[in-house]
Amino acid sequence: MAGAFVVEGLHKSFGALRAVNGVSLDIEAGQVHSLIGPNGAGKTTLFNCITGFLRPDAGRVLLNGNDVTHLPSHKLVKSGIVRTFQITQVFGELSAQENVELAARSREGRNFDFFRKASACREAREDAEESLQMVGLLEKAHLRPEELGHGDKRVLEVAIGLALKPEVLLLDEPTAGMSRTETERIARLVRQIAERMSVLLVEHDTEVVLSISDKITVMTQGRVIAQGSPEQISKDPQVQDAYLGAVEVGED
Amino acid sequence: MAASPDGQSRADDVPRRDSREVAMRVLLAGFTLLALAVPFMDFNPFFITLLTEALIFGIWAMSLDLLVGYTGLVSFGHAASFGLATYAAGLFAQNVSADFLLSTVVAMLAAAAVAFLTGLVVTRLSGIAFAILTLCICQVLFQISVVWRSFTGGLDGLIGVPLPTLFGREVEPGDELYFLTVATLIVTYLLLRRVVESPFGKTLLAIRANEDRAAAIGIDVRRHKLVILILSWMTGGVAGTLFVFLKAGANPMSLYWFESGNILAITILGGIGTLFGPIIGAIGFIFIRDQVTTMYRAWQFSFGLAFVLAVLFMPSGIAGITERFWRRLWPARS
Repeated sequence: MAGAFVVEGLHKSFGALRAVNGVSLDIEAGQVHSLIGPNGAGKTTLFNCITGFLRPDAGRVLLNGNDVTHLPSHKLVKSGIVRTFQITQVFGELSAQENVELAARSREGRNFDFFRKASACREAREDAEESLQMVGLLEKAHLRPEELGHGDKRVLEVAIGLALKPEVLLLDEPTAGMSRTETERIARLVRQIAERMSVLLVEHDTEVVLSISDKITVMTQGRVIAQGSPEQISKDPQVQDAYLGAVEVGED
Repeated sequence: MAASPDGQSRADDVPRRDSREVAMRVLLAGFTLLALAVPFMDFNPFFITLLTEALIFGIWAMSLDLLVGYTGLVSFGHAASFGLATYAAGLFAQNVSADFLLSTVVAMLAAAAVAFLTGLVVTRLSGIAFAILTLCICQVLFQISVVWRSFTGGLDGLIGVPLPTLFGREVEPGDELYFLTVATLIVTYLLLRRVVESPFGKTLLAIRANEDRAAAIGIDVRRHKLVILILSWMTGGVAGTLFVFLKAGANPMSLYWFESGNILAITILGGIGTLFGPIIGAIGFIFIRDQVTTMYRAWQFSFGLAFVLAVLFMPSGIAGITERFWRRLWPARS
């Protein structure tokens, strides 16, 4: 189920640095909402504030109208807000399948199940296989992360998020360091995911963002400078000044 | 295509795993039989007593493995779980009942209660901070055991703890206490094996690997740390109970930081994250200590040296070496 997700006037400072300065977002159920901006714009700080890894100084986060601002991260996951990480942080000594199963069992409330074999949890296995299938990793499910290519590792991170069956999935730069074909694979995947849940996407690749987003928010220096549909954003002179032009020149 | 060889290796993974599992069980049964046969092999009684002590240390080392090996929490104060239990079980046996099962439950409850209080603070921490704070808490318990003379007997400790009884029958020192220890060790091992292979056990691995990532998949990291700390101390409590009956007394030295260091070294030398390794480590430690202490005084030096060398050259302990050998016999994957 896709959830409606609202961020209201979020602030976070580190000393004198206002990393996030009054950011508001409104993500409608089932939409892909992208967050773009140059490095240091405060996207990841915003992400960390939303997902309970940092405490915001002010502002609220609402999921389907419920205030979830100060919930610790594990409770946020239960309430339906799940994130992935910019730097791949899967569990290295477990296979891809086991990584995803861990998340599936967690969702099924089996974290305190002592007397069953983890490998005998059928429902979790099936959920994991479904997630792996969706991201196209089922064939490689038995491999360990170190045996996977960079692109596969990144989608494994997404598969872990999917297995938690959230209402809102926050993806932190899922295409970072990927080739063109891999990036297209992720772009298709994100659209597919949006059929089941709302997506908040932090992304550097402006081409991807413009092609798959329903709505885009542009941040620089902790503030929102523009918000709107891809057409509106691509025509916004302020955005072109601050961001799009600059990135197109130095695109990697 | 890449997919088909992958699929194949996955398919014949299954029978291999099974033969591994069978081999594991045969080995376990073999060890059990060997352990049970020892008293009939006409060793001198001192050997049996020493072996009993080694197996008790094995239970204790397994309990520490839950923290160090499975959760990545290095405790420098694990003597607390053991020492506390020797007093709890000893006092209970002296004043209420020497029933082994009852005394064990009392010691486990005492360990659980103190682990809970300790956990309220230490589960916020990991790494060095966790190690230091557990060390401090253990030293506090040590001081209490020394100072609170009317209750603990001060530096003399508890003296004259009666023999344990089991189902109303007195357990004789020597062979009978040895059998009781073997049985307790096996039950503990099998129960802990289940725990580490359970969904709960797997969440511990996730916490060990990365606490933030674990939280991001909905794992309540603090609560898991608290539960495993309690479970670990309760298991240490079982070892402490057997120990107080073996020695017929409790001593504050069981709570001294030195013992925490010994058990940590035993666990690491044996091989963390294996449960089985720490038992081997404990047997090795007790017997080598027995041999070396009679030869020269600075035996702690040689133990320390062995520890440093082991950490440098066999980081996965004794169990790591046997595991490598094992893999060669029963490869997990082609």
